[in-house]
Amino acid sequence: MTPDSPFQSYLQGALEIYGIDADEVERAVITGVWEVYEPGMRLLAEADLSSVESEIAPDLSQSPAR
Amino acid sequence: MTDGLDLGLGDQARAIAAGDLDPAELLEDCLERIAERNPDLNAVIATFPEESRRMLAEAPAGPLHGVPVVIKDEWPLPWRAQRFGAADLLANPQPGESAPYRALRDAGAVIVGVGNMHELGSGSTGAISVYGAAHNPWDTERCPGGSSSGPAAAVAGGLVAGAVGADGLGSIRYPAAYCGLTGLKPTFGRSAMAGHHLAGVTQTIVSGALTHDASDCRLLDSVLFGEELPAGEPGALRIGVVRDPLWDDCAAGIAEACETALTALAEETDGEVREVELPQFDLYLPAALLVAQSEEAAELTPPNLNSLSPELSVINRGILKLRALIPGTLTARAFLVRALARRALAEQFERIDLLAWPSVAAPAPPLSDTSVELPSGPTSADASNARQGAIANLTGAPAISVPVGLVDGMPVGLQLLGPWGSDGRLLDAAEALERATDREFVELRPAAVA
Repeated sequence: MTPDSPFQSYLQGALEIYGIDADEVERAVITGVWEVYEPGMRLLAEADLSSVESEIAPDLSQSPAR
Repeated sequence: MTDGLDLGLGDQARAIAAGDLDPAELLEDCLERIAERNPDLNAVIATFPEESRRMLAEAPAGPLHGVPVVIKDEWPLPWRAQRFGAADLLANPQPGESAPYRALRDAGAVIVGVGNMHELGSGSTGAISVYGAAHNPWDTERCPGGSSSGPAAAVAGGLVAGAVGADGLGSIRYPAAYCGLTGLKPTFGRSAMAGHHLAGVTQTIVSGALTHDASDCRLLDSVLFGEELPAGEPGALRIGVVRDPLWDDCAAGIAEACETALTALAEETDGEVREVELPQFDLYLPAALLVAQSEEAAELTPPNLNSLSPELSVINRGILKLRALIPGTLTARAFLVRALARRALAEQFERIDLLAWPSVAAPAPPLSDTSVELPSGPTSADASNARQGAIANLTGAPAISVPVGLVDGMPVGLQLLGPWGSDGRLLDAAEALERATDREFVELRPAAVA
């Protein structure tokens, strides 16, 4: 990930907006962890879920209602 | 030192009940063995001999009367608050009677120690903990798995015959696989959880047993469930397999060991193996991660994050801050994927009885480098493990890891996932596999222990 990658820009801005302190090492960790999971998160962000009906207050101990 | 310590959990209980084993001697031998072996394993991070002796003195005639067990550092005890393997928990835990403690106490069990765990439950290796890493008894340079690292290492190392772990994203099943144990992630909500600092909000975390075999797992989980899980025949099992990526993207030897076990299980039950597909499977892992992380999101405030203990690992300081920055739209989509995954599983379970795939994609990596090499390339053990384990926590369904052999001298496990409420049948299937393999794999012990 390049220093001026979209994620680095987001990270810099989000930390400032929320007032969260993060030193260089912590930022490196955040970037490294995000790199591992970014492909999956991108898939999730771009997936067509328009036909998926949400499950309201599901009982996770049971099969979903049909 | 008595041979009783090397018996299984059920055999210990039966020997005590029959008067063939003195529980007071067993307790003292257990404490002695912890003192002897734990320095190499760091599996148990607290013992309290006087409290253990008091538990034994007051133990009722339950199914685990006088049997020593270890409980993960995830629930409070009346004399000790949990620390979650961390210097900083965000919550403020206090000592108390958690539900797993009460279940064990009322069953007559004796808690002899608290098991180490991966810091904040955030990893699958056990390599990070405020107490120092736990070590795998099969090779102390390697990870025991996590986050229930200490419970698994304690059982595999022969410190106790059974331990209580917790599974929020595979945290019982990975250490079971890495350490050659049987570990059940129960159906969500069935096992004792009260007292856990996330019990009121979690939809992913459950308590569960880690033992050598399915019979002992059934015994300890029956205690945690508060109801007996009766043994039975699993019937002719229709077993579904999702080849890509769960079987295909595994390190050399893993799929072969699991395939051999799967074939043996199908033959033992006159069952069959079918290839199945789970739609949009690639979304399950990111969804599971986001659903799980949302459970403690309320604590991820700037004041909390800006005052994290410097004793907390830099990895978790970074992870916690990253979690606070996840867009809400992604989390909302994760809950949609959970609905999708639950319906997809339910649909499959109209045609099959179980799903099966390797519990872990590679054997336990070294503690010094927790990356693994898969056909798809190098990756972190955490990422590859979570891919194998996440669906059970995302959907609430039960899953069990059973030992199926050694790869490069390290244990590996086969995971069986069943419909909601099929915990007993999963144990039946695990016992059928043990019969089919003449108990070869559940009898394996690390050289240092054997």
